[in-house]
Amino acid sequence: MIQLGISAFYHDSAACIVLDGKVIAAAEEERFTEKKHDHSFPVNAIAYVLSEAGIQDINEVNEVCWYEDPKVKKNRVLKTFNKRFFKTFRNRCRYLYSYYFNSPKTLLRKHFKYTGKVTHTGHHLSHAAFSYLTSPYKNAAILTVDGVGEWETITISKGSNDKIEKLLSIDFPNSLGMLYSTVTAYLGFKPNEGEYKVMGLAPFGDPKIYYDKLNSIFSHTSKKFTIDQKYFTWEYSDKVMYKYLFAELLQLLPRLPEEPIKQEHKDLAAALQRIYEDKFERLLKTAKNLVKSPNIVLGGGCAYNGVANVLGYKYFKSVYIPYAPSDAGSAIGACLYNYKGERKDNSNPYLGPEYSNDEVSFLLSQFSDKINVKKLPEEQLFIQTAKLLNEQNIIAWFQGRMEFGARALGNRSILASPRDASMRDKLNMVIKKREGFRPFAPSVTAETASKWFNINQSVPYMNIVVKAFDEDGFARFTKFPAATHVDGTCRVQTVNKHQNIKYYLLLKEIGKLSGAEVVLNTSFNLKDQTITRTPNQALKRFLESDIDFLVINNMLISKK
Amino acid sequence: MSKGKKSKEELERQKKLEEEFQKKLKELQKRDPFVYKNF
Repeated sequence: MIQLGISAFYHDSAACIVLDGKVIAAAEEERFTEKKHDHSFPVNAIAYVLSEAGIQDINEVNEVCWYEDPKVKKNRVLKTFNKRFFKTFRNRCRYLYSYYFNSPKTLLRKHFKYTGKVTHTGHHLSHAAFSYLTSPYKNAAILTVDGVGEWETITISKGSNDKIEKLLSIDFPNSLGMLYSTVTAYLGFKPNEGEYKVMGLAPFGDPKIYYDKLNSIFSHTSKKFTIDQKYFTWEYSDKVMYKYLFAELLQLLPRLPEEPIKQEHKDLAAALQRIYEDKFERLLKTAKNLVKSPNIVLGGGCAYNGVANVLGYKYFKSVYIPYAPSDAGSAIGACLYNYKGERKDNSNPYLGPEYSNDEVSFLLSQFSDKINVKKLPEEQLFIQTAKLLNEQNIIAWFQGRMEFGARALGNRSILASPRDASMRDKLNMVIKKREGFRPFAPSVTAETASKWFNINQSVPYMNIVVKAFDEDGFARFTKFPAATHVDGTCRVQTVNKHQNIKYYLLLKEIGKLSGAEVVLNTSFNLKDQTITRTPNQALKRFLESDIDFLVINNMLISKK
Repeated sequence: MSKGKKSKEELERQKKLEEEFQKKLKELQKRDPFVYKNF
């Protein structure tokens, strides 16, 4: 059974190939087009996954699994537009043109001459399936939260013996994801991208200043909520998401991207994050009441909110968040939902392209006037890299298959020592040229994680934020100031040898020199770039930046 | 002054806030990055 999974047209378009229930390859379109969060039909990602799986003719695929139901989505869009017929006329024409002339079937025929079966799986059902069916649990509560799918913005389901039963949903326009994106835009960041910045900004603010004002837009019933739409344009505009009344409510003007970030912006970020956490906690409680399971899986783009995710432990013994909980992962979710065989282990996030030593050597030979290359046996490579990191060098680390999902998990990463606070500023200002308030994350060997971080479960995909000191209150975060946020928290990645042996062995060598098997890990990209995919990109970015060394496979590269 | 009635200063402040808001809105509408695809 060969399935081709696709998600597109919202954000993070992606494609995957699933063979008899096992994911063989998956990639986001942005890695090929270099447009961040690219939402276009993923022509390049589809071509890649087909070639990785050795499929010459797309019509060998048994079914294409599309991650949402276009008919139900059309129903929502038109019903919403009908409330303001004239105001939405242009958007309605645009939408209907796209619905009829750029449907998944039409585009598959146009680009790949595919004429086979196309199945549609609901947007939130695809999220739920990806989270639950890649988790280690047989039974779990499933909570999905995002901007909007067809109608749903939040669902709670029960996962039991590989079946998913939806128990509750909250529909558009009542959306926590859209509120988060709206305030992201209000604070001068790009929605669907800048939400991380808002989360990073929040600990610098006082949540009390705007909390009551923001909270006043919500009305609650016992399990659900509504959001007063008088403040927002979500039902008819896709440009500016708020109205003047929102400014009047907050008594604060929106910030333009080029304007300085002031204390009031930090306070608004803090209030938004607190509101999100409070509403999320209500949903966790409801999920616990509806599904009597010790486990929960989280899905949807909001499951990247690692600060809120940790609240899951208040109600559940075990929490799982997959490696690509936003729309990209739904390409896989749609396939796994439609696969009727036995569940396979799909916990491996390294599903993208890799490059042989021959390919890399050939590329490097063309730059011999600019670089020195040292080929090292594997053991020496780890020893040398650990030594260079210990000497406060910044190293771009490119190994094996590219990660699927928003996080670099040790195959397309920039690594540095977390022990000196000035390293954070150097990375933010000089290398990544981004806002100075944004934190970096540490990777740590799974078996030593609880020694340095308040952690009781492995976090292989870097999606839970934990305190960097343990319960006795001893502030161990002072040991890793470059990878600890201002509030003493870290978005930790735990690494074990089964998950990523090379990265694990590197951490072991780092431990021998520094006394802690911990390294600062940030994605291998420079300002406004997508994460590095190819050795060519890696080399170009290395030469353009102040990164000290580049390691590709077993080659240690320095500048001349 | 009866409860709920705004003072002159308050009304002026609101007017100024609205004017500033509309100015910023105009500027934002010219810019592409603030598109949020929900349909």
